[in-house]
Amino acid sequence: MSSKAQMIAPDAYPQMMGRAQAAQLSQALCSGASAVNATRIIANSAGTLREALLGYVEALEAAGQDQALVSDKAHEIKGFADTAGLPATARIAEGLCHYLERSRELGAPADAAVIALHVSAIGRATRDSDHGGQTSQIVTSELAALAARKLAEAGSCTAEALSAVNL
Amino acid sequence: MKSGAGFDNFRALIVEDNGNMRILLRELLNSVGIREISEAANGQAALAVLRDHNCDLILSDMAMAPMDGIAFTRHVRTNESSPNHFVPIIMVTGHTEKARVEAARDAGVTEFLAKPVTPHNLYARIAEIVERPRAFVRTETYFGPDRRRKTLDHYGGPWRRHDDYDVGEKPQ
Repeated sequence: MSSKAQMIAPDAYPQMMGRAQAAQLSQALCSGASAVNATRIIANSAGTLREALLGYVEALEAAGQDQALVSDKAHEIKGFADTAGLPATARIAEGLCHYLERSRELGAPADAAVIALHVSAIGRATRDSDHGGQTSQIVTSELAALAARKLAEAGSCTAEALSAVNL
Repeated sequence: MKSGAGFDNFRALIVEDNGNMRILLRELLNSVGIREISEAANGQAALAVLRDHNCDLILSDMAMAPMDGIAFTRHVRTNESSPNHFVPIIMVTGHTEKARVEAARDAGVTEFLAKPVTPHNLYARIAEIVERPRAFVRTETYFGPDRRRKTLDHYGGPWRRHDDYDVGEKPQ
């Protein structure tokens, strides 16, 4: 086989539809009516999704100090919580994901207490009714500050490290 | 969307281990007129679905067992038994670490959609796929959509490298 790249243009392989139909479809996908319908669907799904999210939270709580599993579940929660109408849970999970990623990049072991505090806060934010309220905001920012401090202690006291957890 | 607006014969496959997310994605596709939708809980089950039904679009999660979304994508793109090596694949995932995004890209995904899923982002990805299908690239180590997406102001085309060649041409 040649080391050169073989390029296959879009008109050289089967397309799902013709150009006129694709343009029509694209217009429909971006229409206001589609947006309204979809927003209603997501709102109607929030309760069911919240129940599913609790399953992820319980798995996270059971993960203990298995950091690979903690990271895996935190990413799932981060991706799921906003859609389930739990923005505070999503922000705390995102903070935990950032902290674990930065620790890994720095080659520093993640602090067990930082993980435990995030996991506890995720559980409370998910089960609490104070979604996005003042308490959640304070907890989120305090956890972000703690994570930033720990990363700084790990030798990464840079603006980049601090901004990575500045939610 | 009314029937006949473009999706009458359009078949989608949702590969996602979370049943609630599968339902949500199905409803979001339904709401724009996509009615023919298959579902699978992981990559391995999705391959079995593809053996029975070809499809026009795949939405795939990344973290699944026993076969994750990256292995599934690689299989669809490169395995001889794959029914459609060119099918658009949107990777829908909460795993947005750089290494995972690069792994998905290098496996041959067409688009990457970070969770949380918003209708705007999902529909924008589908619109991009149907309206501006990507060129594909075959090298010794990769087969999939062209990974170079940046538009260069001074680029004179049609391809980015002087030694790229169009399908049907013979390399020198």
